[in-house]
Amino acid sequence: MRLLFGAAAAVALTFLALPVVAIFLRVSPTTLVHELSDPVARDALVVSLRTSALAQALVVGLGTPTAYLLATRRFRGRTVLLTLVELPLVLPPAVAGIGLLAAFGRTGLLSTSIPFTQLAVVLAIAFVSAPFFVRTAVASFEGLDPTLIAAARTLGAGPWRVFARVALPLAASGLGAGLALSFARGLGEFGATIMFAGSLQRVTQTLSLAIYAEFARNFDVALAMGALLVAFSFILLLVVKWLSFGWTSPFRSAPSSSA
Amino acid sequence: MKVLAIFAAASLTGVLPSIDRAPKFQFAGSDQLAFQITQGAHADVFAAASPKYPEQLYSQGLCSKPAAFATNTVVLIMPSANPAHIRSVYDLKGHGIKLVIGAKGVPIGDYTRKLLAKLRLSSALKNVVSEEDDVKLVVAKVALGEADAGFVYRTDVKSVGNRVLRIAVPAAGQPTVRYELCIPTTSQHSKLAAAFVREVLSNRGRTALRTAGFGLP
Repeated sequence: MRLLFGAAAAVALTFLALPVVAIFLRVSPTTLVHELSDPVARDALVVSLRTSALAQALVVGLGTPTAYLLATRRFRGRTVLLTLVELPLVLPPAVAGIGLLAAFGRTGLLSTSIPFTQLAVVLAIAFVSAPFFVRTAVASFEGLDPTLIAAARTLGAGPWRVFARVALPLAASGLGAGLALSFARGLGEFGATIMFAGSLQRVTQTLSLAIYAEFARNFDVALAMGALLVAFSFILLLVVKWLSFGWTSPFRSAPSSSA
Repeated sequence: MKVLAIFAAASLTGVLPSIDRAPKFQFAGSDQLAFQITQGAHADVFAAASPKYPEQLYSQGLCSKPAAFATNTVVLIMPSANPAHIRSVYDLKGHGIKLVIGAKGVPIGDYTRKLLAKLRLSSALKNVVSEEDDVKLVVAKVALGEADAGFVYRTDVKSVGNRVLRIAVPAAGQPTVRYELCIPTTSQHSKLAAAFVREVLSNRGRTALRTAGFGLP
């Protein structure tokens, strides 16, 4: 049995690692760095970082209070709300794109002029990545020791003070992990963005869109941007592990807190 | 049962299946399809919206000698409500117009840039809000009413007829749009592929192309 499981694990790990390794093997590191100085890549990096930063500010700013309410209150329809918040996790990005157009498009429900602007990219990223943050944030607020909250309350702290001085600092590492996940998902956003925001260099063309636009034209530049995203994502996931479990043997403690 | 894999320009979406429904079709930007073929994708016929990519593959020894089979013209389309009140291509220079075009390298994108340059309208490029990866995406963004205008092929208008208005491009700006097809050397059914090519070039194929609004070379 050990042999069988070992073989399965070897196949699985090779399969998962191969495409990632291939990106780095196909072009030398110096070429990769050189290709990243291509204007398309540079502009896409700026657009990606800008829109991601704004989107994540939106996600954390609105998501934290939302998660706190969902974690601390019990009310009818809570499960439905939680499910609604998680829905973009499993929604195909193309559906998110159609939905954003139907809601914010010029001929949509709110008939705004948001499509094709950088704000459209921000909204697309926020929509698809928010669940990653909110879900983790709800779990960390729920995981707080209720006696600590109760103690703060009996010592005279008001609800705002309890939130700001007790709950928030205690949940901080969980929130950080959620943010890193959300950020990573947002960086990779593709389908909703290309449908809702279009693709234009320096304005709406994020790294993911630029990879798609360049792969037929300039494969090395696409490859370099891909490598950059791999590196980003790897670091972000490491941050998640670190915030969730600390540096010591993240995997051993994993089963006890499967956030 | 051999089924041909036909890689064809997005603008051929409606017409090729009407000539022969049997093959599997992949419709996309000609540049992307050409790239897939250079990467070893299994295609039996490559039909592009510009001679550029078939000729490129041919010179690299990746496909048979290309044959021209259709022509097209570029037109300007607006949502039927015409929110930006566009009456001619010269209105595209106006402030705040949302213009959607094909990306560079995509045939419709290259034709559009050529056309604007010929008409000394390249300043309209400042109004571009999105560069799409194939012509059908340009059509969609205009038909949805999100964009004010977009350059597409005459033949694309049929599928969205009542949702868009169409303006002709002045003859002085009209680029030569020529479709070519070839048989990639990786094709494992080259005889069947040759039969498909003959069908497209036959009278029946030409009639279907003409009915769909294409011109003939």
